Amino acid sequence: MLTYTLRRLLILIPMLLFLSFLIYLGLELTPGDAVSYMISPERYATMDPAELEAVREALGLSDPFLIRYVKWLGGVIKGDFGYSLQSGVPIKDIVFDRLPATLELSAGAILISTIFGIFFGTISALKRGSIGDNALTLAGMLGVSVPRFIFGLLAILLFTFHLKWLPVGGRLRPGYEGFMDRLPHLIMPTLVLSSTLIAGVMRYSRASMLDAMNRDFMKTARSKGLPEWRVNFVHGLRVSLIPVIVLIAFRLPILLGGTVIIEQVFQWPGIGNEFIGAVRSRNYPIVMMIAFFTTFAVLFVSFLIDLFTALLDPRVKLD
Amino acid sequence: MKRITMLLILIGLVLLVSLPVFAGGQNEAEAPAEETAVMEEGVGPTNSNPLSDLRVRQAIAYAIDMDTIAETMFDGMVLPATGRVPDGPMKAPGLNRYAYDPDKSRALLKAANWDPNYKLDLGYYYGDQMTVDLMTAIQAYLSDVGIKMSFRKLEGDVGAQLNSVPTDPANGPSAVEIDLGYGGHAALALQEYFNVYKTGKSAQYPSDPKMDALIDAINATADPVELKKALFEIEKYEVDNLAAYSLYYMPMFVYESIDLNRNGEIYGNPQYNYDWNIQNWTMKPESNGKMVLQTNGGPIEFFQNPWENPGIWISNKVLYDRLIACDGALTPTHGQMADYELSSDGMTLKFTMKDGVKWHDGAAVTVDDVQFSIEKIILAPTAHKVLLSTFNSIKGAEEFIAGTADHISGINTDGNTITIEMAKLDPNILLTFTQFAILPEKYLADADPLKMLQSPFFQHPVGSGPYKIGKVEMNDYLVMVPNEDYYDGVPKIDEIQCYPSFDSDPNVVKNATAGILDYGFSKNPSEVSSLRALDNIKLETVDVPYTRILWFYQYPKK
Repeated sequence: MLTYTLRRLLILIPMLLFLSFLIYLGLELTPGDAVSYMISPERYATMDPAELEAVREALGLSDPFLIRYVKWLGGVIKGDFGYSLQSGVPIKDIVFDRLPATLELSAGAILISTIFGIFFGTISALKRGSIGDNALTLAGMLGVSVPRFIFGLLAILLFTFHLKWLPVGGRLRPGYEGFMDRLPHLIMPTLVLSSTLIAGVMRYSRASMLDAMNRDFMKTARSKGLPEWRVNFVHGLRVSLIPVIVLIAFRLPILLGGTVIIEQVFQWPGIGNEFIGAVRSRNYPIVMMIAFFTTFAVLFVSFLIDLFTALLDPRVKLD
Repeated sequence: MKRITMLLILIGLVLLVSLPVFAGGQNEAEAPAEETAVMEEGVGPTNSNPLSDLRVRQAIAYAIDMDTIAETMFDGMVLPATGRVPDGPMKAPGLNRYAYDPDKSRALLKAANWDPNYKLDLGYYYGDQMTVDLMTAIQAYLSDVGIKMSFRKLEGDVGAQLNSVPTDPANGPSAVEIDLGYGGHAALALQEYFNVYKTGKSAQYPSDPKMDALIDAINATADPVELKKALFEIEKYEVDNLAAYSLYYMPMFVYESIDLNRNGEIYGNPQYNYDWNIQNWTMKPESNGKMVLQTNGGPIEFFQNPWENPGIWISNKVLYDRLIACDGALTPTHGQMADYELSSDGMTLKFTMKDGVKWHDGAAVTVDDVQFSIEKIILAPTAHKVLLSTFNSIKGAEEFIAGTADHISGINTDGNTITIEMAKLDPNILLTFTQFAILPEKYLADADPLKMLQSPFFQHPVGSGPYKIGKVEMNDYLVMVPNEDYYDGVPKIDEIQCYPSFDSDPNVVKNATAGILDYGFSKNPSEVSSLRALDNIKLETVDVPYTRILWFYQYPKK
């Protein structure tokens, strides 16, 4: 077990290095750089190539690709992720400034989708073939297939413009002091984000529960005379949750960068919006930091899930 | 009898004059004459690129029905262009409109031996649906006359893809891949429209000594009469030669909530600074009696540099002040931070700072700050080109830029006056000082002009304008509050709240509908249509020099 854990942890290092190199290479191959974004095409026409080069030099963009990558990596190893090419603000300040916004959105969405997704999925499985099951299956299909921005715009139309219950977007407004001031702004994006997540969890829970219901241990439990609710919710649900938890766990790191659409629709100043802006402006230190952070989170969660599964399921042997 | 004879003579004269009209109209009779003249001069391709043939460029212009496009696609919000300069006193008369005429287009293509299998590649950089629709329409119009064209949005290094200048400005080859380009030009000074054709400055237009001479002429005088004559001449030359084809003029639409009252203050070009006297504006008070104006343009990561975009961002407009004020058409009117005096030959400009002009931190704005600002911007290559053009014309600017002098020798200060001596005349010298924000030396002395925005100053700027920073939450909101020491009167609106949104941003219409947008401007027709439908928003159309253009890349291809 210890050997396996150490080996998996060590494997993370070359994987991270390789992926960071790929991301850096991808940015390099994308046409343009931070300077070409900063200067309007009309202004570009009147600038001398030497002037452009001087700006690139000042921003540290004129070194060859590999040297810039090694410099960036050296900084990361020392805990220095660099600074924004546009504002000069340290990257860690930018990321940690945006992270709470994304985390509160993601955490809320994960919580709501987990509770309702498992609940509806289990009910759907237990009432298999009923009208309720069919209705939930249809709702699940819609949730998975309808794009989030459609849900978002419909929600704004209904709750902001028609009912006038919730604000149109944004996170902070002048005069807001605490979480309760921000709460009305959080409700709509969280619900819209969770609506699509619920669908996935629900469908997964339903399939997993149906699978569990056909297992021998369920028959054994029933033959022991246990009440049906106990058979379903204590024995069946517990086992069916393992794949569902794996799904939810994998969503946690992905949500860090996966809330882009919701952030844009609701003017939510999170990591997703920052990432899009940084990619557009070729602000590579910000792109690298967010991509690196998300990659690390995915790899690390994957490692934790392997450990967790092995601990829960005696059939899985780590070595 | 005498009367009858007179009547007969009169009828005869009328018939004689009317004959060409009945035969097909005077306009048509004139247009082919011009085209024939061009053909008779033997204008054909000047290099291997078919677009170097004037007849092909004319064929493209005649093939596009801009009147219909403007009326239907743009809902009448834009004006089909005739030449680069929008209508007004500086507009050259009698220019060829290239009115839609597909038959003439086909004839010109035939005369030019156009290869129907040749496919033109058009690049553009706008991300809105309207542009895609327009490109599709142009593609269809060109297809109708037998020209194949594909279009694509340029990504990444757009400037290089559009504007890379060939090493040899006379013979090329072209340094870009596209054949046609679509974009806009919002000119601060009208010379900007044509300076782009100067030899060695254009990615599209090969070196042309006559054009160079015309460009020199429009930059050599500050006299309005002479300037007008020179502008007329160059615009006619540009239109006749179709150096580029101006498609339409785009007005600017200022939108305001019904709660905002300008109290009679003027409207003007919202992309630049003008004397809008925001300190006299009022808002309908909220329940607590506070007047709050909500708008967009809040900073996302930093405040914009006022030397690059002098007036697009409201924060740049109200946080900083300028030495000279101008009206809505950007014509200099009177001294703002300083009284000024321009010598009759336009070569010496003297400013005397007004009393009581202070930075938001309470310190006085001095002539040293003015000198510092000029000596900083002149080393910032990304600054606005009209501003740079003026400052590069100051005596001693070259030596200062080269690093052989500590200061620009043409700038001298004495007490509260600063005198600027020019090495060569700049027709826009006063215009420049209507847009040039004076920045405080004490906060920016160490800033690298090559990366100004990285200075901590642009996280919390200090200016001398009517409003100062109240609170900034980057990417959330900016609150600006009145500058109680403002020398031109304390602003009446208690707070300006800016949220991070901009024109053509989908959030504009949502925010306006939700009542959290009291002021802004747009040049996006679909956005304007949506705003027009709102009961709580009023719209004001402002004519500005903003032209959308089809560029012809005429250098031989690689």
